Amino acid sequence: MQNSLVVVKADDSHDELIQLVSFNLDQEEYGVDVLKVREIIRMPIITRVPNTPHYVEGVINLRGKVVPIICMRKKFGLIESENDKQTRIMVMDMDGELMGFIVDAVSEVIRISGSEIQPSPAVVAGGIDQECIAGVINQAERLLVLLNLEKMFSRDEKNLFTGM
Amino acid sequence: MPPIDCEDQELLDGFLAETTELLEKLDDDLITLEKSSDDTDLMNRIFRSIHTIKGASSFLGFDLLVKVAHKTEDVLNRLRKGELVVNPEIMDVILEATDLVKLLVGDIKAGDIQERETEGTINKLLPFLLDTAGASQVAAAALQPPAPTPPTAIETPTVTNTPEATSDSAPAPSTAPVPAPKPVSEAAPKKVAPPPKPAEGKGGDDLSDNTTVRVDVKRLDDLMNQVGELVLERNRMIQINQDLQQNDANRADFNEEFGKLTKRMSFVTSELQMQVLKMRMIPVEKVFKKFPRIVRSMSRDLGKEVDLQIVGEETELDRSVVDEIGDPLIHLIRNAMDHGLETPDERLAAGKSRGGTLVLAAVHEGNQIIISIKDDGRGIDTERVGRKAIEKGLITEDQFTAMSQREVFDLLFLPGFSTKEKATDLSGRGVGMDVVKTNIKKLNGLIEIKSAKGLGSEFILRLPLTLAIIQSLLVEVEGEIYSIPLSSVLETIRVDQRQFHQIGGQEVLKLRDIVLPLIRLQKVFNVQQRGESDNFCYVVVVGAAEKRMGLVVTRLVGQQEVAIKSLGNYLANIPGIAGSTILGDGRVALIIDPVAMSEVCE
Repeated sequence: MQNSLVVVKADDSHDELIQLVSFNLDQEEYGVDVLKVREIIRMPIITRVPNTPHYVEGVINLRGKVVPIICMRKKFGLIESENDKQTRIMVMDMDGELMGFIVDAVSEVIRISGSEIQPSPAVVAGGIDQECIAGVINQAERLLVLLNLEKMFSRDEKNLFTGM
Repeated sequence: MPPIDCEDQELLDGFLAETTELLEKLDDDLITLEKSSDDTDLMNRIFRSIHTIKGASSFLGFDLLVKVAHKTEDVLNRLRKGELVVNPEIMDVILEATDLVKLLVGDIKAGDIQERETEGTINKLLPFLLDTAGASQVAAAALQPPAPTPPTAIETPTVTNTPEATSDSAPAPSTAPVPAPKPVSEAAPKKVAPPPKPAEGKGGDDLSDNTTVRVDVKRLDDLMNQVGELVLERNRMIQINQDLQQNDANRADFNEEFGKLTKRMSFVTSELQMQVLKMRMIPVEKVFKKFPRIVRSMSRDLGKEVDLQIVGEETELDRSVVDEIGDPLIHLIRNAMDHGLETPDERLAAGKSRGGTLVLAAVHEGNQIIISIKDDGRGIDTERVGRKAIEKGLITEDQFTAMSQREVFDLLFLPGFSTKEKATDLSGRGVGMDVVKTNIKKLNGLIEIKSAKGLGSEFILRLPLTLAIIQSLLVEVEGEIYSIPLSSVLETIRVDQRQFHQIGGQEVLKLRDIVLPLIRLQKVFNVQQRGESDNFCYVVVVGAAEKRMGLVVTRLVGQQEVAIKSLGNYLANIPGIAGSTILGDGRVALIIDPVAMSEVCE
């Protein structure tokens, strides 16, 4: 697969190479910009925070820093599942603040060229807000949904966080 | 001035630190001097300060700065020798000159040295040097204020704003008084100098430096000792661990050794914590000392006579708090001067002394520091405040009639509220009190207003001593641990739930002679019930401002000193939660905010 990517790149030398971290969520595969990912950790003890939106799982202690945790499945309105050995928290840099996202599994870092990103079709993976989908990557054997997590929370939701 | 190269950077930093410190003190000293002009020690100190600034800046080649400082020094020298007598006019000019010095130092600090108009201020200084000045100086000074010579293109070809030109074009201090080659052409014709204006507003504030701190060597030595002990204890810990792994020690020995070690460690860390906390503590004087200057210039602007009394400026509090209270205090002082105190005529008419009194006081009270600003002015006119609020559509007529005095005072803090018809330089835009409220809230502080019409007002700020570490009571609510700041806990009681009463749907508890409203944390925080409930539970009685309430919890865990961690921007404003902390086992516990809690339940 790596080879095919290189070929693609050779075709279009203007394209920049993007590195993505891919993760799984309810059968589908997603990708986020590797530069936004700070670290990937196993599930620690999460302290519940009352009176927050249902997808805010709580906060964790990340080496002395308190980091809020979002459950991706709940956020995207997918069926909830038990955490297992594969479950991971991806700690991301969101506009300078750390935030953790619970995902089913983190698979790999892949490289793609910008030209491979296609605009997302009208309806994708039922229920996921269109806002944060930056596009899809359609490769021979896989379909990857590219997320822009900074657009994950609408303005209203951000207000909800801070204005409740 | 060419960019400063690395070698000089250290020198420059030293110069800036020293100058900033001197200037901060200078303002205060000058105001004091105006009141007690025969204090020769003070006079000499002021003279030395400005002399030091002049010397250092000439060494580093800041010619513009030297020029201003030099002239100021000359005037001060004459004051010192008694050739001149301190009066408000001289003081105004000297203060203006120090402002200019600040501005120039600010430029240097920002690394952005620009050609400033200094002649205006220097010209104002010159007349005070006239009497016995040399013939040439007299001639120059006499000639100069009315008709400053226009810039001659030949003498100063490329002066304006070319950094390199500064040193060349600026006249050397020794020959300074004759400003024949005017460096800045556009500024020359006007005698009223533009630079002091920005200086008054910004220069002072910009200069206060929060990046470096001076620590008593003794405190530093103590700290080093503590760290030394900590290192010893660590070594001991490694040793114990090794012994255990190599099975040299049996379990009982290990337990005993480890127990001892834990005690010593906790002793050393708490000592260390105290030391560091002490180092962070600075006297509130750091903020207070800029106020005499502000009050002086304001009272002259407003034509009011004000006697500012400062009490308790040696009270120490945490740097983080000190940094934050400056702005709110300035706003409160401005308000007191502008709205509170009357003009001398009005005061006499009201049967008061001509001059108003403004008392700025700081005092420790338990874990808090209390800062109050008290004036003996006209007090807050609740009627007028109410009218204005109705006019602005902030409240309705009916609401106003139903309001208590306290609620009316709260209107003052609404953004955009002002009783002034027109915004002036000083006040009236309705921003000030909003700033006060926001900053104090950020510090977890409380504001209290006392006011009597015709007698004066008092604004009381209650602030925590430090923001970083607090004593807290850990409680358990159905398996979840929460932390309550101990400063707001009044008592804890174990009660049978059957003793609770219901008043209009609100659970209450009869506690001696008061009826205590109860808040079930389990309900407020939506905690899931686990296991069967016990009839007995604990009630933590907390006080927020003058309110009392009881928080119902499952179990008390204990008292612990905790470091406050923010929840980050996304979760910053959860009702009833002030922040979070990390417990001994690495878990996060949320800190309850009793003040907000009472609001949530209303």
